[in-house]
Amino acid sequence: MNPVYISAAAALSPQYTFEAEGLLQDVRSSDNGKLFVTDADYSKFINPVAIRRMSRLLKMGISTGMKCMQLAGIRSPDGIITGTGRGSMRDMEIFLGDMIRLKEETLNPTYFIQSTYNSVNGWLAMQTKCNGYNQTYVHRGHSLEMALLDAQMLLNETNERKTYLVGAFDEMTDEYFLVKSKKAYWKKPVPNSLDLFKHSDTKGSIGGEGAAFFTVTNDKENTICGIEDIRMLQDPDENEINRTIENVLQRHHLNIKNIDLVLCGMNGDSRFQPLYANILTGFTARTSITAFKHLTGEYDTSTSFALWLATELFKRQEIPEIITLKKGIHSDIKNVLIVNHYILNSASILLLKGN
Amino acid sequence: MEDLKLTLKQQIIESLNLQGMTPADIDDNAPLFGEGLGLDSIDSLELMVLLERNYGIKIEDAREGRKVLESVSSMADYIQQHRKI
Repeated sequence: MNPVYISAAAALSPQYTFEAEGLLQDVRSSDNGKLFVTDADYSKFINPVAIRRMSRLLKMGISTGMKCMQLAGIRSPDGIITGTGRGSMRDMEIFLGDMIRLKEETLNPTYFIQSTYNSVNGWLAMQTKCNGYNQTYVHRGHSLEMALLDAQMLLNETNERKTYLVGAFDEMTDEYFLVKSKKAYWKKPVPNSLDLFKHSDTKGSIGGEGAAFFTVTNDKENTICGIEDIRMLQDPDENEINRTIENVLQRHHLNIKNIDLVLCGMNGDSRFQPLYANILTGFTARTSITAFKHLTGEYDTSTSFALWLATELFKRQEIPEIITLKKGIHSDIKNVLIVNHYILNSASILLLKGN
Repeated sequence: MEDLKLTLKQQIIESLNLQGMTPADIDDNAPLFGEGLGLDSIDSLELMVLLERNYGIKIEDAREGRKVLESVSSMADYIQQHRKI
């Protein structure tokens, strides 16, 4: 398949990524194992009559999508494709709680209507008057990757210049955190989020959430980077990750010496740390190795934050110290690998090339 | 009747999350939909739920529902005549 290109990107995360001019200059941290999104002024992006009914996730997703469109200078995309691992958790929790509390009678319709996974897409389509293709993938740790792959396939099918709005969104709730703590998702005792990687010898991670959107097109002109390859792996071991990286590089006539930067999705959990062992030691002195989950926490669609971060690094050609594990001696940032693994044993590898 | 209208306005504000509004901002006779408060079809479903949950009133006929939900006054009148709670 031919590559597709990102012309604009926006991210809402626990860090000041939505409106701040500098990249990760003031860093937020947490001591309770949860990294919640830094809210933006959502009223700038959403119809004031509609916003009063919306949950935080809807506001996060719609605002980030609208902001991305603003940055791209597009009023209406050719289609909207998103991924979410969990959808509107809060609305679903309220609706299910009311079912028990009210004995399945007089249930509020709003929570039901908006707890569906495709609410964000629906609202974005209405706000941008987009009648085109509209799809939401709910594939846990592969949700964003499926949305990107779908966009790539659609854009490969046409010779016309088309632009899709592609994004991901996931929220964390206190109930979700509690339930998953029983499945040993989170670290005990809880370290400060910025010290997450110092505790990679113990089980568990920290919880997170976020939203990120991208305008993805088949025309290279005036774009930030190309998505050259998207690979998804289920239950991979270290060898499979290494083999897939080799295969991706070979397919694009590259070798590890050509990679300027690797964005790793390690989450501080000792059970998954071996998956990154070769990346941490196997790349040459040229390659910078970076990580981001101490800034976002772990969530299904965290690859979207990594992809947004990559677009910022391509634009700025500077790597903030807060994400640097190993500083490489490359002159610029041209070829980037994102290697991410989600707690449910799904992993993805993306190869990006800066324009 | 005035007490009922005040309570109803408070319930409408809370149930529809009309941020920044107080009961004094809602005119008893102003239309709730369209030009008045500017409510929409999902709000009408929420108001039906409000009537059922707080007053035991179930409106099955959509035409009747439209008349009942015209304004705070029409809702209060209907509640006074039909309430079961």
